[in-house]
Amino acid sequence: MLLRASGEKEGNDYDLNIVTSESGDGGVLHGALLRELTEAAIGGKWRDLAEIRTRAAGLMGEQSAVDTLTVASAFNGITRVADSTGIPLDPQTEATTHEMRNHTGIAEFEYARKSARYSR
Amino acid sequence: MYPAAIPLRDDLTTAHAASWAQIGQPGDFWTGAERVDMVASAREALSCPLCATRKTALSPFAVAAEKQAGHDTQSRLPPVIIDMIHRIRTDSGRLTREWFDSVIASGITPQQYVEVVGVVNTSVIIDTLHQSLGLDVPDLPTAESGAPRGQDNPDAVDRGAWVPVMDAEEDLAATGLPNAPNIARAMGLVPGSVALFFQTFRPHYALSDIPLEISQAQAEFVASRVSAINECFY
Repeated sequence: MLLRASGEKEGNDYDLNIVTSESGDGGVLHGALLRELTEAAIGGKWRDLAEIRTRAAGLMGEQSAVDTLTVASAFNGITRVADSTGIPLDPQTEATTHEMRNHTGIAEFEYARKSARYSR
Repeated sequence: MYPAAIPLRDDLTTAHAASWAQIGQPGDFWTGAERVDMVASAREALSCPLCATRKTALSPFAVAAEKQAGHDTQSRLPPVIIDMIHRIRTDSGRLTREWFDSVIASGITPQQYVEVVGVVNTSVIIDTLHQSLGLDVPDLPTAESGAPRGQDNPDAVDRGAWVPVMDAEEDLAATGLPNAPNIARAMGLVPGSVALFFQTFRPHYALSDIPLEISQAQAEFVASRVSAINECFY
């Protein structure tokens, strides 16, 4: 996971459980606000998002708030490309993130597991 | 496509305008009108009662037959494609290999499938950004006449995905990730779909030294959180 790589590069030790948990900032600057913006955008909560966006602009700056939504929008598309094509993880990524994926629960999203869980 | 008062990078707004126009042009396996219909169908999915019922079901394939009457749609696309688009738009995290196999068994080619994935998810990025910024979604692209080009990639290979993907070297970049990660190869069966989608995606994000006001770690947190919400493994 690239959040861990970013932390190592910056010398920060982020709590990766924030990715699958419902709260917390994990040590990421403005993490709670990033979470609010992201969850409202991906959840289609447009009325809530208007208020969050205004608050975020005051705390982070308008450009940072817009950039947060720019990244979220992109990943709302690319995750669907991955899920629609059943693309496997790159071997290097699989090897270096195996333990973390199990620890955070992301491993449950693996395509073979989902296929077994949801297939008719 | 975007008001000048919103601080978006020029390369992003230029790319989105180009992608929107290209959706309306003939693709490789679908006409311009069919591609525009895909965008309209993706939007309809968000208010489709059947999709809402499926979304709350324990399994999207467990919705009782009497509720499978059909999607709420004006689309003229084949029913299997309408269903595909609605599932991708509303519940992509629960797509399965068995479901994909059923789409192909219905007579849809992998090339046609990949092009739908590219068009729909390009529109997802553009629509999501508009709505996130408090803007109305843009008018549908203008459909241009003409026949599909029919250009696929005969050198696509099996890498364990549901569809053949782009062949590429396995060398690593400075980030420790492959120079051609699997996600960039996923739609490689139809090069035009790769070009359309990543033209749209690229100005939003970078694997390192991200050229945005937020830091790389902040961007990775947002990206990871979206993946988790959408139940995406990759």
